[in-house]
Amino acid sequence: MTVPPADEVTAHWWEATRERRLVLERCRGCGHYQHYPRGICTACVGTVEYVDAAGTGRLYSFTVVHRSPAEGVEVPYVVALVDLDEGPRLLTRIAAAEQGELACDRRVVLAWDPLPDGRALPVFRLS
Amino acid sequence: MVSSPLHQLDCCLVTDGGGAVVLTTLERARHLRHDPVVVLGAGECTTSTSMAGVPDLLRTGAVESGRRAFSAARLGPAEIDVVEVYDSFTITVLLSLEALGFCGFGEGARFLEGSRARPGGGFPLDTSGGGLSYCHPGMFGVFLLIEAVRQLRGECRERQVGGAETALCHGTGGMLSTHATVLLGVDR
Repeated sequence: MTVPPADEVTAHWWEATRERRLVLERCRGCGHYQHYPRGICTACVGTVEYVDAAGTGRLYSFTVVHRSPAEGVEVPYVVALVDLDEGPRLLTRIAAAEQGELACDRRVVLAWDPLPDGRALPVFRLS
Repeated sequence: MVSSPLHQLDCCLVTDGGGAVVLTTLERARHLRHDPVVVLGAGECTTSTSMAGVPDLLRTGAVESGRRAFSAARLGPAEIDVVEVYDSFTITVLLSLEALGFCGFGEGARFLEGSRARPGGGFPLDTSGGGLSYCHPGMFGVFLLIEAVRQLRGECRERQVGGAETALCHGTGGMLSTHATVLLGVDR
């Protein structure tokens, strides 16, 4: 799997994945949480700090993809929107789910899909 | 199954295609060979730039684009004779009809039950057959405008909606995130 290169805004986020930490940005001024990293608060334009997500959330919506979008991509896989308990919504995947188990609003917990270079992608499992 | 719950026939066939629309003043258009069709109102709304940023999957930007278009035209959904809604997927149509106020939220499927959208079925919808019936060249929205213009000019023969004087076109772009509504009418 190829992922986009890190830049000055996202480098911290990517490095944290080596320690299997999902980091969010929290505004120093208004407390707003956001993900993915933007480097500036999207609510009040304040400065942000990084905080670790608890790694728990709720399945907002999902689809099971049965047609491979590209050569080498194995199907089926589950694309999901997960609402973290801190607030931000992630576009992610649900790993190792039995299809009958999936349902909107189910609780999910953070898992990791490792990349060859030691970094990892945050995915979720049903909890 | 393509991507649950969408099966193959819930998705447009990807094709080539194209279209064009000529815009000019009503005064100028009245001296052309074809009957003019009047832009009564239009509205646009973009809700997000990525899937992760979608505020509510079930209430699309068509709520706001539709409100702006209806407001500009001083019309409501009940006064529209022909409805041309972008139909990339079956769910796109249901969400759009709900957002545009033709039925309540969550009622789209029930609203179309009983083949109401078929020719002569009481709710003239995507009267060309829609992209789900034949094509999707990437910019299907122009076909919505072309079909609406043909309906308002009375050029549609077997599929002509009798007495059509107003039409709504709704285009959707991005990832169900960019919306444009146009209301068209005959020249009175």
